[in-house]
Amino acid sequence: MSFQEIFIQQLFNGLLLGSFYGLVALGYSMVYGIVKLLNFAHADIYMVGGFCSLSLLSFFGGTFLGKGWFGIVAAMLITMIIVGLLGVLIERIAYKPLREAPRLSLLITALGVSMILYNSVMVITGGEYKAYGTGLGYEGFSLGSVHVTYTQAILIVAAVSLMLILHLFITRTMYGKAMRAISMDRDCCRLMGVNVNKIIALTFFVGSALAASAGMMAGVYYGSLHFFMGFVIGIKAFTAAVIGGIGIIPGAMLGGLLLGLLESFGTQIPFIGSEWKDVFSFSILILILIFKPTGLLGKKESERM
Amino acid sequence: MTKRLWLLALVVVLLASGVFGCGQPAEEPKDEGPDSAEAPQFDGEMLIGVMVPVTGSEATYGKDMENAIKIAMDEINAAGGILGKEVKYVVGDDGCDPQMGSAAASKLVSSEVTAVLGGYCSGATIPTLKIYGDAKVPFVIIAANSTQLIDENAGWSFMINSPGYHQANAAADCFEGFGSTKLALVHQGDGFSEDLATLTREEWEKRGKEVVAYDVVNKGEQDFSSLVTKIKASGAEGVYWTAYHADGALLIRQLRQGGFTGDIVVADGSSSVQLLEIAGAAGEGVYCTSPPVVDFLPAAAQFISKYNAEFGQEPGPYSGLAYDGTHLLADAIERAGSTDPEAIRDALAATKNFETLSGTVTFTPEYILEESNFIIIKGEGGKWVLAE
Repeated sequence: MSFQEIFIQQLFNGLLLGSFYGLVALGYSMVYGIVKLLNFAHADIYMVGGFCSLSLLSFFGGTFLGKGWFGIVAAMLITMIIVGLLGVLIERIAYKPLREAPRLSLLITALGVSMILYNSVMVITGGEYKAYGTGLGYEGFSLGSVHVTYTQAILIVAAVSLMLILHLFITRTMYGKAMRAISMDRDCCRLMGVNVNKIIALTFFVGSALAASAGMMAGVYYGSLHFFMGFVIGIKAFTAAVIGGIGIIPGAMLGGLLLGLLESFGTQIPFIGSEWKDVFSFSILILILIFKPTGLLGKKESERM
Repeated sequence: MTKRLWLLALVVVLLASGVFGCGQPAEEPKDEGPDSAEAPQFDGEMLIGVMVPVTGSEATYGKDMENAIKIAMDEINAAGGILGKEVKYVVGDDGCDPQMGSAAASKLVSSEVTAVLGGYCSGATIPTLKIYGDAKVPFVIIAANSTQLIDENAGWSFMINSPGYHQANAAADCFEGFGSTKLALVHQGDGFSEDLATLTREEWEKRGKEVVAYDVVNKGEQDFSSLVTKIKASGAEGVYWTAYHADGALLIRQLRQGGFTGDIVVADGSSSVQLLEIAGAAGEGVYCTSPPVVDFLPAAAQFISKYNAEFGQEPGPYSGLAYDGTHLLADAIERAGSTDPEAIRDALAATKNFETLSGTVTFTPEYILEESNFIIIKGEGGKWVLAE
């Protein structure tokens, strides 16, 4: 492979990885923006999304939808709704009663929810890896020795479209406007007649649905699920959210893509083996934070979201 | 005060029941010979020790081995026993624990066994080598295969399972068979997979070939796309994955997704059928270096059906070797012509091309297998089958 070929191949790989990070990072960022909570359970929502879609897809496998793209799209839409509602439920039960409590109590509750989620899935699945069978093959297109499967290309397009839809939703709709307003001043919004509880629930719904879609895409792409699969990606997506400026929607997308690309190019540098790729990418991230502590797109506290 | 006395009494009773309860039944040899009318007339009995874990976390494997030994002994007795004597066995439970292993070995030695079969956990087997050596009891080690067993051998122990480094040879042979010259090795940074990768690299380079990529992936990582690009860029013709099945399946998928068309071989830690399930279509035509598990050995079909009929379950991973070891020992004692320990040891050492289910047995001067007994299996239709 020539240098250019390696570059193009890694660009694709990095984009795909980065869009997974970005989708999960969006949820961290939105929730932080609106209730100032680091929702540690978010990574587990991603994992639950993977498992939920797997059961739906195995069910669709027996119907006219099949396990191909039709089944996958149907399973993804239903998964996003179910897991979105799960996110709302978690907010209602675990976070809402603590909304006025000290921030640390909320943080610990989030850790608790995370443990409940992954331990439940561990018990249900017996702690085993589950194969994610789809009807997709390995066909793709090649440019020289660069090889990209159709699955990869479609997943990148799907992830980026989801991000764009979210962006339009936040900037162009009334609900988006309400979200932005609440992130600036919750009490003031309440006085203005905005239904704060409803908007916060909506935020959790959207964030969880996006994480679930990422979980499903990871299942489709990598082919296996595990109850602890959210851990590594959770840390990375959280980092991506911070790098982009936590609370800022385009920042989370940018941070995710940047982290994906850094990881993907970092391993290609001679003498840096795959085991050093996290060290490499996180060193750069630390550098960014030293020079821009609020993150790439971060501004002053009052202008979040 | 009375409370304390009661407690003391309770402890004494518990201890006593523990000593007698555990010691007693194993002491008496199990009468396992066939009782049918046409059973041959025996000229006395011969007692063989069986040292396997029958309690603790590894108990299932120990039981799998004991069952296979029983089948082999029934066959031997049906054919007239060894030197005209009826073969019986007595179990010493090593519990996969060095201390229990020593106790089991001492017990077997004091039961005056002619020879000992067994050894599943290397850790529990190592301290027993000296005990058997001091007591001059020939010992056929069935499953344990740490290289430490070679170093600590007191001159009376014979390993019929290949030591770990034989797998590196098996892998190199396999790639050589494919006609590859450039190899990529991937491990996971833990002791086992890294050792195997290093040994394979040494072996491959010794054969005058090139290792073009040698890399490690972090546990729990799902995305190997960068590694795949690296492997493709290195021009490797084959990839050897030395770690475990869950991550191995991800690597196989991503190698095929990334357009890698060379050969993929995985090590025994990946021989689970789940690897093929997760890898799906990408798992077709993947090879695996595996220990001789009876499921993959065509010669073992009769043994498997016998095992199924007698115990109502499938043989375990080391049942085949246990069966082989018993027949090997019987053959050696027959050749020695007496139960004199030195004669048996010399006969074992002189074993030449003895045919077993798992392959032919010839010992080196260190009493390990001359030829690796690793087999190559291949993913076909979502199952592992023996590759030629």
